[in-house]
Amino acid sequence: MTISSTSTSAFYERATMDLSALRKQAEGLQGQLSSGSRLSRSSDNPVAASRLRTLARATEMSNVDVANANRATADLKLTDTALSTFADYVTRARELTIQASNGTLTTSQRASIGGELLQIHGSLYALANTRDSTGHALFGGQTAGSAYTLDGAGNAVYSGTATTEDLPLGDGQSVKRGLTGPEFLGFSVNGNPTDLMAVIKTLGDALMGAVADPAQAARDALSPLSDALDTVTTGQTQIGARLAWIELTNDRRTTLSELHAGEEADLGATDLGSTIAELQQVMLVLEASQASFVKLASLSLFELIR
Amino acid sequence: MASDLLSIAASGAKAARLALDVTAQNIANASSDGYVRRSVRLEELASTGGFGRIGDVSLSGVRLDRVMRNADTFRQAEVRRTGADAARGRAEVAGLENVQTAVEQSNVYPSIVRFEASLQQLASDPVDPSLRAAVIEAARTMTRTMNIAATSLDAAGNGLRFEAGDGVSQINNIAIELGRVNLRLARASDASSDQTALLDQRDMLLERMSEFADVSATINADHTAEVRLGGSAGAQIVTGGTTASLAMTTAPDGTLSFAVGAAPVTLSGGSLAGKAQALIKLADVRDRLDTIATGVIATVNAAQAGGIALDGSAGQPLLAGTSAATMALALEDGRKIATAPAGAGANSRDASNLTALRGALGASDPAGAMDALIFDISGTVAGRTVTRDALDTIAGNARIALSAQAGVNLDQEATNLIRYQQAFQASAKAIQIASNIFDTLIGLR
Repeated sequence: MTISSTSTSAFYERATMDLSALRKQAEGLQGQLSSGSRLSRSSDNPVAASRLRTLARATEMSNVDVANANRATADLKLTDTALSTFADYVTRARELTIQASNGTLTTSQRASIGGELLQIHGSLYALANTRDSTGHALFGGQTAGSAYTLDGAGNAVYSGTATTEDLPLGDGQSVKRGLTGPEFLGFSVNGNPTDLMAVIKTLGDALMGAVADPAQAARDALSPLSDALDTVTTGQTQIGARLAWIELTNDRRTTLSELHAGEEADLGATDLGSTIAELQQVMLVLEASQASFVKLASLSLFELIR
Repeated sequence: MASDLLSIAASGAKAARLALDVTAQNIANASSDGYVRRSVRLEELASTGGFGRIGDVSLSGVRLDRVMRNADTFRQAEVRRTGADAARGRAEVAGLENVQTAVEQSNVYPSIVRFEASLQQLASDPVDPSLRAAVIEAARTMTRTMNIAATSLDAAGNGLRFEAGDGVSQINNIAIELGRVNLRLARASDASSDQTALLDQRDMLLERMSEFADVSATINADHTAEVRLGGSAGAQIVTGGTTASLAMTTAPDGTLSFAVGAAPVTLSGGSLAGKAQALIKLADVRDRLDTIATGVIATVNAAQAGGIALDGSAGQPLLAGTSAATMALALEDGRKIATAPAGAGANSRDASNLTALRGALGASDPAGAMDALIFDISGTVAGRTVTRDALDTIAGNARIALSAQAGVNLDQEATNLIRYQQAFQASAKAIQIASNIFDTLIGLR
């Protein structure tokens, strides 16, 4: 004859097993709530954990990309400002050249104009050697030294490298962080390559009396000077386009990081509402099983037999 | 032979007392480990008619036939089998969780990512000393976390091997104990309380042994147990009173193999099998971690060798070591990172060698390999956890099925107490009636 399906020790054993399982479940949910994370170990959900690792890696790399983009933006803005100043100087030089091309000027008046042009040459030279945000030559490509040096005759000579390095912006995108001097100062006159500073230096020297007909030299210099202005403004357009490109990649990165953050939250973060409800449910079941266990355990025939 | 009411009633009272004793014994042992519920079997005592006595009424009362031990060999074998499986599952999951913790919590993955990120940051200004220092520190963190992961794996492996060693000595102790029980069982008389106690002990020892290995037991006619390890075709460890000894061998890669005497044994259940399986996985993980570490070392050093450091000297190896455990930083000076290509001068801002290094790292993708490794372990742990829970449930059910039959149910014992008390009282009444009848006969005038 069997009164209940199991022995007394089995009843206690099973009650212990069930109660501790419920308690463990409640503690797990509580852990999720207090840590705010659904996964405490990878094995809780291997696929989600692996995805979270990939997302964390993307975020880490994206942070570096933001830093790099900011650096590139700073350098490009510096370049932009410098190019505006270059354009101003070229405009001023053209005004002076137009003045000097006027045949009614005296030699000394032309010489003073020539003096001013040489001053402008000096300023242009200094400007061409501007340093970027990290202290390197802004227009020198990858050179470790200055972009331009003066030779024995006082002519500015480019001493930088031929190209500027690409700065990675993430996801395989990159941007050139600046212009080399020859890229916006160099142009050609009648097929002969020259550059802005050489033109102004030559013209300044000519007006100071280095040639027989300074007025003609001034007239001849007008067309190269407008070419120079064109090159500088073209450079400015390039810089503007690159800034816009960085802006674009920044926007894209922001959108991506929002997506990543959303996915991270979906995969790994605790959904407070559902977790609290689930915890409440487990607690209810736990309390009910504890109460019923106490009731059942006190239900002994020995209590009733007198 | 005529019936004797007094002696019949006396035998009834005696039998009821014995049954009450057995019930009290059951109640007293309700929570004893390995105790199997006893029940009494009573038998009528009556002589059959002999020659010339056909139709004779000859009643002699009741006698205790035997005290039964309510153990079902099949359910016991099931408990052993499922218990061994559950123990294997538990041991394997516990071991694998340690492996997972060693690889994941050592933060090798984030440190590799940080090293890659520091290289990308350096690309923004290859001559910046602080960015170079950041690369060196990131590389240092990476080597340290690799060391930590390797050490933790070693520690996990040592723990598993230590526990397995303990399990082996437990099995040998239990085997010797079983041998002794077998010897005494062979001599114990049938159905004596000595024998039932020994049977309890035998079953308990078998169950304890099944915690450590898959045990196959054959019960002989004299109730002695023959025990084989590793299934029914495995090596014999207990035969009667003689026992063989289980031995464990550790391979150079840390995996375990077992042998009884000279015969190798493949354990497929019990905690020893679980630990052995966890150790096989551990050796595999260890191998792959070493492969990742040596891959990073080779890639970084090859790129270094192809470039020029900031001071214009040829690039020297940045990382040293031949495994995850020995991985170390070989350069402390950030200026020695060879970012410039061969042929460049000192202080070159040409970062093409750095680009080459980043490209090579991107191609070999150590972070991806690390992610795959963690995924592999965690996937294994998750899968084995499901198996373990299933095995646990099966084993729990088998145990409950056994104890429903073999365990003591206090309610049932309470009922028995009343039943045998009533039987005792009824027999006493019969004695009183016999006495009354005698008095009546004596008092006849």
